[in-house]
Amino acid sequence: MDSEQVLGLFKKVTSGTIIEIAIVIAAAVALIWFFEKMLPWLAERLHSRRRLLVLSMIPTIRILVFIVAIIWIVPLLIEPTIQNMIAILGAAGVAIGFALKDYVSSLLAGIVAAYEMPYRPGDWIEVNGTYGEVRHIGTRVVTIVTPDDNVVFIPHLKLWTELIHNANNHDANLMCVTNFYLDPDHNPGQVYRVLEDVALSSPYINLTNPLLVLLDEKPWGTHYRIKAYPMDPRQQFQFISDLTARGKQGLRELRIKFARVSTDYTVIQNQK
Amino acid sequence: MADTNPWQVVTIDEFKRPSAPTVTRVHQRWQRVLRLFSRQEIEPEEEKTNDEELPDNSEFNRKPAVTALDHYFEEWLEKKETTVCFLLDPPFSGTDDIARDWAKQKKWKLVTPPDINEIMTVDIDSWWKKQHIEGKWLIDDLSRYLVRTAEGLSFIRVLLPHILRGDFGQGLVTCDSWMFEFIQRIWRSRLPRVYCFDAAGVELLKQAGIHASDNSLLKLAARVRGNLGVAKAVWLLEKNKDRKLPALPNDADDLTGFVLYSILLHRSLSVDLLKDILSMFSSEKLNAQLLRLEQFGILQYKEDQWQIDIVAYPAVRDFLSNRDFLMDAF
Repeated sequence: MDSEQVLGLFKKVTSGTIIEIAIVIAAAVALIWFFEKMLPWLAERLHSRRRLLVLSMIPTIRILVFIVAIIWIVPLLIEPTIQNMIAILGAAGVAIGFALKDYVSSLLAGIVAAYEMPYRPGDWIEVNGTYGEVRHIGTRVVTIVTPDDNVVFIPHLKLWTELIHNANNHDANLMCVTNFYLDPDHNPGQVYRVLEDVALSSPYINLTNPLLVLLDEKPWGTHYRIKAYPMDPRQQFQFISDLTARGKQGLRELRIKFARVSTDYTVIQNQK
Repeated sequence: MADTNPWQVVTIDEFKRPSAPTVTRVHQRWQRVLRLFSRQEIEPEEEKTNDEELPDNSEFNRKPAVTALDHYFEEWLEKKETTVCFLLDPPFSGTDDIARDWAKQKKWKLVTPPDINEIMTVDIDSWWKKQHIEGKWLIDDLSRYLVRTAEGLSFIRVLLPHILRGDFGQGLVTCDSWMFEFIQRIWRSRLPRVYCFDAAGVELLKQAGIHASDNSLLKLAARVRGNLGVAKAVWLLEKNKDRKLPALPNDADDLTGFVLYSILLHRSLSVDLLKDILSMFSSEKLNAQLLRLEQFGILQYKEDQWQIDIVAYPAVRDFLSNRDFLMDAF
């Protein structure tokens, strides 16, 4: 396609058109900026399900504003006939294929993520061993904050190839597992009751959700797990800490010995 | 009698909260939205003078309520079964006082709650022996029979089968409505024969001495969810145009919720017991939280015990509901 044919696809651009395009872009940017500031602020004043609902609106609103801006601007620049669109997209496809493949792949993955919602703001996800809360879903990357307050940027491209573990899947219910490793010589019924009461007496526990105490016999001893839900996913670490500390205290009061395992997971016999 | 008495005893499933007019519901939701966006710091309450102290909620006439209770349980008592009934007591509703009045009228024995040692050691047998009860009995506050610590839940677990099997004979158990929900969680199944007083409506509010138009009384009943004691306190407070219902501070956080829920669950708590229940928090943090909530009129300190202020109860309930705490049925 020669340059005259390419130029022929575009309409005559007047100063009025440029001003209109500039206003639309400015309005879209301002709207997106406003919602990206206002909605997280509002979400911090809410809790649990309501907080997650407000956070989930952010990427959807961004895409909607973006689409409306595109729909407004494109007809100002080109006559949106089938022939013209094929010509433009054909030329763009070559450029994308050579230079912007990964970038565009991430952009498309971001749009797919907004539709399929494998993760949303407020979700706790693990990608490639990195676990954290989704804070922002951008056009190309998703931003998560880890428990150590590190900010990690994960390209949406990972959506195509990596497993994404979502701990709460946009729900206020995030199951926490607290582990105890005990010497095999003990009364399991007693331990079961203590751990259950430790969980029921935790201020963090969501009492409307199920609570389970499970045990698993191992060669080195008995592995107990408390599976319970905190009231808010952000409380998960304090919740597990609370259960661990008070569980250990309760088990020590029963004079129950803890299994001691070395770094290569062989049993160290307890000294009597 | 039963038809004209505004006090009605119902099963827990039959309980219906009064519903507010649509305008009131919209107004309440709008107020919630405004509070979310409000950046204005809520000021602590000025210190109350003695003149501003509200009358105790027990100042309504309990006789019709006692009559309603007597009428409702007449058939159950005639059967002479060794069953036990549960009567739920929403905070500040006065149900426990009504149950005590009724038991006194019937000459039933009032069961003495276990002390903290008996709760921790689960010494049911010696505790019951000390009661010297041979006939019918009343437990006037089941929330005093457990402490929400890992060691404090076993007493009630062991006690309930004895009560439900009829080992102690026929009796009535009054239980705070918040603690009842928690006990059902420990017990893991629904307890049988659970009753409560129906929600206070316009007639009952009038009988309790609250004077206003029917429309205002309907709105008041809906605001306080049919709780007569809270209705009277709120009405008395709002008669004074200079006073407002207390609100929680803007910086109320997780610890605020834990403190309020613990105190509500146990009706009132000493500092030492609160420290045992919230053992993961330092004494300094707990004391700071208690004092701050007292400044805002949410808590009051009486006879060595911290408890929720009656007029703060609606705000506390709303706060806990928004944070997914286990709520009572009222």
